[in-house]
Amino acid sequence: MGEELLRTQGLEKHFGGVTAVDDVDYSLSTGETVALIGPNGAGKTTFFNLLTGSLSPSAGTVEFRDDGEWVDVTGFDTHETAQAGIHRSYQVTNIFPTSTVRENVRVAAQAHGSDTHRFWRHADGFEEYHEETTRILDRVGLGDLADRPAQALSHGEKRHLELAIALAGDPDLLLLDEPAAGVSSESVDEVVDLIRDVAQDHAVLLVEHNMDVVMDLADRITVLHRGALIADGEPEAVRADERVREAYLGGYGSDDDPATADSPTEDAGDGDGDAAATDGGVA
Amino acid sequence: MPDDDDAKPTESGSSSEAVATDGGETPPAERAPSTTSHGLLGGTLANLLGGDSAFARYARSSTAHAVVLAVLAVYPFVHAFFTNPATFNVVPVLSGAPEYWAETFVAVLPRVETMVAIFYFGLFAASFDFISGYTGYLSFGHAAFYGVGAYGVILVANGKIPLLGSQTPFMVTILVMAIAAAVLAVLLGLVSFRLSGVYFAMITLGFSQILYVLFASWDFVGENPRDGVAVLSHPEGFEIGVPFVDALNLQIGQLQGDSVLYGLDMAKLGFDFLGFIDVTVDLGGTEVSYYMVGLVAVLGYAAMQRIIHSPFGRVMIAIRENEERARAIGYDVYKVKLAAFAMSAFFGAIAGGLFAGFRRSVSPENSLYFLVAGDALLAAVIGGFGTLAGPIFGRLFHISIEEFLSKSGSGGGLLPWLERTLGEGTMTTETVGGVTVGEGVDTFLNGHAELYVGLVFVLFVLYVPNGLLGTIRVRMGGTVAGQTAARIKRWANGAAPTGSKSTGSADAEGDDD
Repeated sequence: MGEELLRTQGLEKHFGGVTAVDDVDYSLSTGETVALIGPNGAGKTTFFNLLTGSLSPSAGTVEFRDDGEWVDVTGFDTHETAQAGIHRSYQVTNIFPTSTVRENVRVAAQAHGSDTHRFWRHADGFEEYHEETTRILDRVGLGDLADRPAQALSHGEKRHLELAIALAGDPDLLLLDEPAAGVSSESVDEVVDLIRDVAQDHAVLLVEHNMDVVMDLADRITVLHRGALIADGEPEAVRADERVREAYLGGYGSDDDPATADSPTEDAGDGDGDAAATDGGVA
Repeated sequence: MPDDDDAKPTESGSSSEAVATDGGETPPAERAPSTTSHGLLGGTLANLLGGDSAFARYARSSTAHAVVLAVLAVYPFVHAFFTNPATFNVVPVLSGAPEYWAETFVAVLPRVETMVAIFYFGLFAASFDFISGYTGYLSFGHAAFYGVGAYGVILVANGKIPLLGSQTPFMVTILVMAIAAAVLAVLLGLVSFRLSGVYFAMITLGFSQILYVLFASWDFVGENPRDGVAVLSHPEGFEIGVPFVDALNLQIGQLQGDSVLYGLDMAKLGFDFLGFIDVTVDLGGTEVSYYMVGLVAVLGYAAMQRIIHSPFGRVMIAIRENEERARAIGYDVYKVKLAAFAMSAFFGAIAGGLFAGFRRSVSPENSLYFLVAGDALLAAVIGGFGTLAGPIFGRLFHISIEEFLSKSGSGGGLLPWLERTLGEGTMTTETVGGVTVGEGVDTFLNGHAELYVGLVFVLFVLYVPNGLLGTIRVRMGGTVAGQTAARIKRWANGAAPTGSKSTGSADAEGDDD
């Protein structure tokens, strides 16, 4: 694995009395592909939102290494973390529907140049963004559909476009929120192949419910439960972990009934000790 | 656009080809694209327009704009020509009733003076569309910026504004007011852009109504602010042109406007062989205003169009499409929205300045009132939201209908036309219940133009949701200029099989409207 890229310390988020993310110390290095799993309501998406700046944490810090320098991105707005090199894709497809596929990616590529204020020049006159767009579209397999309006794509194609937009501007870290959400079982392999390809030159942190996808892709698995980090290690080790089995994989049958697993309102007090215990887990 | 335009794109190409070939001679054979027969003139044109040089691309993508500009350029002459009974004496079939035909055209064609109003208000509607149609933030308070431009011009002319004497050149005044409006937009936007959707619309509306009440009751503005204020100390017309250079300025205004008399007699100039060219162009104040106001409006539109197609405009569209994602890919959308709002206000104030400069008076009701922004919305909905040029055509459509249906259009409109055409006998004929035809017509038409315009508005919202230009774009499969360019390219390259290969790139080029 490469050098450390992202780290959080004591990251917490409270919504009123609800603790969605509870004292998470986390670290991620370049070249890693990490899966973030946990039952519904475990705080995965909230954790994503804290990393990208969509939400600001109640306590703790997020730091990101940008060009070798640690930058405290804790108070950053979404566009600032994006500029720093943290890009995300969304669980629910989040594209520019009436723009063409090409424009969806082009405008994202343009965000990372310094030409947005050149309002006297034609947008299509900037070759570098077009070349980058073409490269990305070919990579995700949408090259032939570049001139279609994005809303005319099939669901599977939209998932690819979702990723293509996140790829524009060459991020250091990709946060993928359920990239295979709603994709038919035949097409999941395409998404997996695509992410494996992308993971070669980006650090990837992905949230995914499909365990086959997770086991297929991840070098490391992190488990969140009621906002706390209860396990963090290699897939096999996490799979064997007793607490994880209890909280997540076997959670539906055992003492945790689905109703409470779905709800973040549960007091996450016992998670604290667990997080501390697993903190030194395999990184 | 006819329906089959889209289905059979080559059809239009081949028909224009046929027209061009009528001049029939063998085409220049050395250029591959024009191996099909376009005729000598057509072949030259095809060679000129079919290539991939910067010039050819530019010429192709500008064709649609050039056609519209050409129509606008000759409109005063067309209007004068068709509303003159003498015209119809020349045509044998129509010469029986020249008055009738001239009156018909008077009723149907918008007056030149009306066109001036369409220019400045069209520019305002386009500026409204610039922010509302492209970023998705409905600026219901857009009248504030129109009002700043309009009041600014009048107050400067009356010497009420410090540092800007009443003799400040009109162009300078208008520019200063446009910048003032942009600053105002930033101030309003700092607050308003914290909100979105209907709340943004409401808060901007609120701000504009504050200005409306202020200017309607502040006696600094004039003797009787409620009724508005007229130009008091600037008897000559406002000049459009290059400031401080007399020769490059023309005055606008219905009464104050310059008139231009320009004669071109080639024989007198010594070009005997061109002796048949002996033209006199005689333009009155209204016509000069038409060209000068039109010039500024077209330049304003061109500037906005340029911005829309720039990287900045693409971000505006991205914000309209999906603001959350636009932020997530790295844009500071708050700043982009503020800048777009300021630009929109800038052009809105220029429109207001042209309005006041031409009318030489302004009242709170016709500049700052929220229904002024409502009219811009109406124009945008009719013409096509998010098309920029659409609102200008929307305004033309709206006003043409209104004028056609209202009696007040002096010397125009349906009612006077019917009265004259049907004749005394028909008009006094009694119908059901002792109501004469004349009274019936009067009941339905007199003073009810707004009612019919309202109906048209409802019909547009229901059945033409994309507006005039929006619908044409959907039918053509892209912007009018872009599609025209693609068709010209197909035509120039003939029906050669290679055409299909180049079609893709031609379709993508020229993104203008």
